[in-house]
Amino acid sequence: MRYEVAIAGRTLRVDVDASGRFLVDGVAVAAETTETVRGRQWLVRVGGRSHEVTLLTNEPARLSVDGVEVVAAAVDERSIAASRGTRQHASGRHELRAPMPGLLRAVHVKEGDVVERDAPLVTLEAMKMENELRAPARARVVKLSASAGSKVEGGAVLVVLAEVE
Amino acid sequence: MGAVAVYSDADRDALHVRLADEAYPLGAASPRESYLSIEKIGAIARRSGCDAVHPGYGFLSENADFADAVAAAGIAFIGPPGKVQRLLGEKTRARRLAKEAGVPIAEGTSEPLRDVTEARGVAAGVGYPVMLKAAGGGGGKGMRIVRSAAELDAAWRMATGEAAAAFGTPALFLERLIEGARHVEVQLIADQHGSVVWLGERDCSIQRRHQKLIEESPGPAVDDALRATLGGAAVLIARKAGYVNAGTAEFLVDPRGEFFFLEVNTRLQVEHPVTELVTGLDLVALQFRVAAGEKLPFAQDQVRRVGSAMELRLTAEDARAGFVPSTGRIALLRLPAGPGVRVDHALFEGMTVPTEYDPLLAKIIVWGRDRAEALARARRAVRETIVAGLATSLPFHAHALADPDFAEGRYDTGFVAAHWPPADEPELGEDALIAGALGAVLARRANAGRIASDGDGLRPFARAGREDALR
Repeated sequence: MRYEVAIAGRTLRVDVDASGRFLVDGVAVAAETTETVRGRQWLVRVGGRSHEVTLLTNEPARLSVDGVEVVAAAVDERSIAASRGTRQHASGRHELRAPMPGLLRAVHVKEGDVVERDAPLVTLEAMKMENELRAPARARVVKLSASAGSKVEGGAVLVVLAEVE
Repeated sequence: MGAVAVYSDADRDALHVRLADEAYPLGAASPRESYLSIEKIGAIARRSGCDAVHPGYGFLSENADFADAVAAAGIAFIGPPGKVQRLLGEKTRARRLAKEAGVPIAEGTSEPLRDVTEARGVAAGVGYPVMLKAAGGGGGKGMRIVRSAAELDAAWRMATGEAAAAFGTPALFLERLIEGARHVEVQLIADQHGSVVWLGERDCSIQRRHQKLIEESPGPAVDDALRATLGGAAVLIARKAGYVNAGTAEFLVDPRGEFFFLEVNTRLQVEHPVTELVTGLDLVALQFRVAAGEKLPFAQDQVRRVGSAMELRLTAEDARAGFVPSTGRIALLRLPAGPGVRVDHALFEGMTVPTEYDPLLAKIIVWGRDRAEALARARRAVRETIVAGLATSLPFHAHALADPDFAEGRYDTGFVAAHWPPADEPELGEDALIAGALGAVLARRANAGRIASDGDGLRPFARAGREDALR
């Protein structure tokens, strides 16, 4: 199985063969691994040195390597191939998503409105702070997906915008 | 001493509930229906036979009505009495009091503003940039920097909304923004017999959105003369207010060393352990003694400060994503230890971090014989810490502690904006990078549920290889 690993700003190719040996960027690496906490933490010995690798979060993809937190994600080549087939949004269409779970305090626009860049669209309250989410560009409000007073999940689409020249 | 805890529905399984001798439910998670309910908390205190109530920090800790209600029930309130809290809790009144005590304040209003029109007028007079602040309370809520008249409307709208939600009053005031300033505060303690003692300062300049992330003592920019001046100013304000129990006077110190009074926090602060580590005092125990009517067991000239301490506030915020709040279940927890390392927290594996309250997860406080030793211990403590399951502020702390300006003590309240997020990912050694890449692959497979739940648990790659071969 082949993986593409983006880690700490670099990209490495990792191949795992049937006997559990692996190659990094085509070079066989003498390494031993021990799962210290199931599905969470591994001890990886490379060239006589031990490294502790902990899966911090899947989403966002973060690992701790010897106590240093880095952005890291492995994608197997089947998934890479599959993702190439997905349809991209037509350009000019924006989905404004909730950056965090919270309470939608206010909606400042209605469907059909044309708003200027940086115009406040909605106010989201999370952990007692109010955050005004603004238009990334001059755009028309195509769809409002949540109303004032509703609880929203992190990542939920709040407003769909279509860019206007 | 027995302890009675209260908890909301969101905190049913919280550690404080488990560790207390008795624990009583307050109701729904929403603070208004639980931790902000004077009635409910008062009733529990009476019913369970409490002889004292410690309000902690946050929620009702700076609520004068709560202090009065507790006292009226014949229960000792561990903090300043309601009348002192009223005097200092309304921020414009505190500014007037400081001015009368001869302590400098930043130019601005000494009454709450009526509306945005008045704010526009005052701001024009004081000159931009200005700071809009909630008159009803602190902690960064209802506070906005306004750089030009064009920003005023939006800032006013958000600050009033936040202030109303946090303090029950939308009132705001305005003062000149002191640029390049450090946030330096003085810890005070006063007994009921007229003794007021300052214990030392904390530099809390490492903050974003006015929420502190790192605090330390001694302050890197505070020399003996400034320390004594700030301590003296804090005592003047406390005496003028008739202060009793622990409190903190906050100041801004500008690049020339001039200082301006900000506010008094009429409660114990989150960062009080920093002062505990350099003075060797137990501030909470002192609070109980003072509330019981005892005299402070030391005079000003008997306070000794030894070494250097810093606190890192570990929060449930994704530092890399601009500190947006994060939530999740703590899948794996490892906290640092060793000489001079203290961790104040209520975390446990399996705990789901609630979104309803403040994002503070844990406080990592280190002490060293000097700042270099404290810094070295802080760096090691960060590397030992693992909180898996949700994104945290830890990468910010690692970055700040490694920063040469921080190491030299050269920073002000603009530090976070200037240094975060970093341009590059942290550097890993070549074989750490390979180990990390292999770990990422293992994590990916674990996440995809392809690793058998039983099995040997010890040779994941061998198992993974076998599984691939069987496909």
